[in-house]
Amino acid sequence: MHLPLGLLACFPVVVHSIIGIPTHPPLEPLPRRDAPVLGVGSRSHRRHQNAYPDEPDKYFHEADFDRHYDGRFANKRLSYDERRKHLTALMQTYLSTMNDIGAETWIMHGSLLGWWWNRKILPWDSDIDAMVSEKSIHHLADYYNMTVHHYQLPGLDEGRDYMLEVNPHYINDSMESANKIDARWIDTDTGLYIDITTLRRNRTAEARGVEGAMMVKDNHHYMYDDIFPLRESKFEGCPVNVPFAYSEVLIEEYREGALSQTVFAGHRFEPETQEWIPLRHAVQQNKLLPPGP
Amino acid sequence: MAQQEMGYQDDNDGQERSLSEWQQELQTPFPRRPEWAGASVETSYAGPDLLYDPGYASHSARTLRHGDYTRRSAPLIDQVSNGWRNSEKTAGFYAAEPEDHDLRLCDLEDEGSCPNTTADLVRSRRFRRMLAVVLVAAVVLYYSWRWYLQPRLQEEWDLKQGFMPARSNGTYGIARAGHFEGTAIKWLDPELVPGGEGDSKGNRRLVFVGDIHGCKKELLHLLEKVGFDAKTDHLIATGDTVSKGPDNVGVLDELIRLKADSVRGNHEDRLLEAAKTLLGTNLPPESAAATSQGYAKDAKLLRELKPKHMRYLRDMPLMLRIPALPHASASRRKDKDRVHENIIVVHAGVVPHVPLEKQDPYFVMNMRSIDDRTHLPSALRETKKGKSRPWMEIWNWYNDRLFRGRSLKGFHLYSADEYEEEQLAESQGWLGSLWDGVFGTGKAKMKPQVVVYGHDSKAGLQMHRWSKGLDSGCVAGGKLTAMVLDAKGKTEIVQVGCKNYKT
Repeated sequence: MHLPLGLLACFPVVVHSIIGIPTHPPLEPLPRRDAPVLGVGSRSHRRHQNAYPDEPDKYFHEADFDRHYDGRFANKRLSYDERRKHLTALMQTYLSTMNDIGAETWIMHGSLLGWWWNRKILPWDSDIDAMVSEKSIHHLADYYNMTVHHYQLPGLDEGRDYMLEVNPHYINDSMESANKIDARWIDTDTGLYIDITTLRRNRTAEARGVEGAMMVKDNHHYMYDDIFPLRESKFEGCPVNVPFAYSEVLIEEYREGALSQTVFAGHRFEPETQEWIPLRHAVQQNKLLPPGP
Repeated sequence: MAQQEMGYQDDNDGQERSLSEWQQELQTPFPRRPEWAGASVETSYAGPDLLYDPGYASHSARTLRHGDYTRRSAPLIDQVSNGWRNSEKTAGFYAAEPEDHDLRLCDLEDEGSCPNTTADLVRSRRFRRMLAVVLVAAVVLYYSWRWYLQPRLQEEWDLKQGFMPARSNGTYGIARAGHFEGTAIKWLDPELVPGGEGDSKGNRRLVFVGDIHGCKKELLHLLEKVGFDAKTDHLIATGDTVSKGPDNVGVLDELIRLKADSVRGNHEDRLLEAAKTLLGTNLPPESAAATSQGYAKDAKLLRELKPKHMRYLRDMPLMLRIPALPHASASRRKDKDRVHENIIVVHAGVVPHVPLEKQDPYFVMNMRSIDDRTHLPSALRETKKGKSRPWMEIWNWYNDRLFRGRSLKGFHLYSADEYEEEQLAESQGWLGSLWDGVFGTGKAKMKPQVVVYGHDSKAGLQMHRWSKGLDSGCVAGGKLTAMVLDAKGKTEIVQVGCKNYKT
């Protein structure tokens, strides 16, 4: 996968350094592990990790105040506008990194729906969903686990650190209720993250004769021909891949309403500007424009 | 006054008496005046019977005749006797009164009373015949409503609702949707239009062919059968020219040689996307086990294609538009064998009323049905959860409506221009809109169009007034269909049989 030139337009000033410790996937049944808290270098002193007593094998832990934040790095829930800004930056840095690494990734679920509507993250979405292929996750796990990537984004005085963390349970192909997410791309400043899942071959279905069946550990099922060959497009101003049969995948998951309803989740879609306007903003005439940079 | 003159019992009201009698009356002296004891006194009155006493009566008559009311005359109540208490009521007292009809109506014994007359009426033959006729008519009317009229009206209403914003929250065609790499909408070269600027004599023809899928032999056979002449005829394929069949490269070569036009089908789409990762690399081909059978076949085909084939595939637009033929004869509402309007050629279908630029490319290349309410297309014939219909049904209904000039008031709007037009139409007032509603608008703002498509081999050849489906499943052993359009707008269907290449 060669690097598209358009990507450089996203990041006029980028300082990129990798500090990483390569890990080897364990061969024996996995010893019980949690996402490490010490040594990840966080600014806040108080940890908000929400350990689940009823799911002892769960690797990733969310914050106790909001499950869309990583408790090791977050200390408060962000406001609506702040969250949107940081999620956009999260997406852009993730795509840039995956491109550099050469990992095959594409957007799914809520992010794909946002792509369908206006090529942007849906404003009420609190996280981003991305998928990688099996080869990619092995590559990331082998060489990029626990790596921290420093980005200097335009509009921010200081740089930010983003961490790529791979769940050691990724090598387990079967469904697991506790470890559905295979990797995370975490903003160490705010605690926001991208859930990365792997599209695997559905070996049980293939054994039964269903050809081209694929599955994900969070209990989604697809056909190979619906995802591949991937299409190239733009999302939040950056080059991205989307599944081949994007609309079918969306309708399968969200039903027809999600692709046609213009009033949803307290927002209204404005056809002229192609933006989702929060309903409270639409009422106040002076706030129709999206928040400035 | 007449009552007091000669008493109540006297039938003679006193005005027919002779003069002598009158004189006699008037001259008798006034009798002893009774004591007026007041109203509280019992009616058993000891005094003279005033009613029968002629003297008193005449006196009072005398006085009253002068028109005076005198206090000396007793109140009228005193003249009332209670003799009525003693008299017996006659047996037929009530029945004897002829004016009292209401009381007589319900008596069952009487001949003329209401229940009896009704019973007679019901028993009568004429009435029963009439009743039978009315009942039969009611039954016929009810069932004709239920089975014939009401479903049709309901259907019409349902179809219309899919276009209205009132019932649904948003609709298809508003979101950005997917994008198309290449030319989305291409107009046919004016030189090639039958009867157009390059063809004043009207000799040219257009030959539309359904999904070829690499069946080169059948294609050549079909062209021969049609009498294809490269000088005057132009071939237009509806996509899916390659994949699945025996000689994909051969078909592409033939199409390039004939300078044929084609729209992009779902298989061409797949090939072009796969080419981005597969072409130009020296990596060993991925096996079907690592990918899928379809993908592996595409990869194999891509290795056989040359740059000129890839260029031809990339040049295929999403939609090909052909202007209305200048020499075509007049339009008729139900004529399936003629095409007079603009033609849109696509691979799978288009959603009615949504502007062509807003149609999602994936759906244009894959759709078979659309959702009832939101008009969202689907590649399936029937969606699992929603209510869907074959898209050409709604397309035909919509274009028929446009043809008749029926108003599109209340239908979804997709751009600021449409909104302004609607505002303009509304400002013409109720009389104008009434006129339009009854007689139809003289100038239709939107014109109906004919769609030529392929993709749906299971449905086979589908010729309707506004949609022509040409995929008759050649590669699976069906037929390869061509629709020949001449300068006058007449269409002709030519078919050849195909061998089954599906393994």
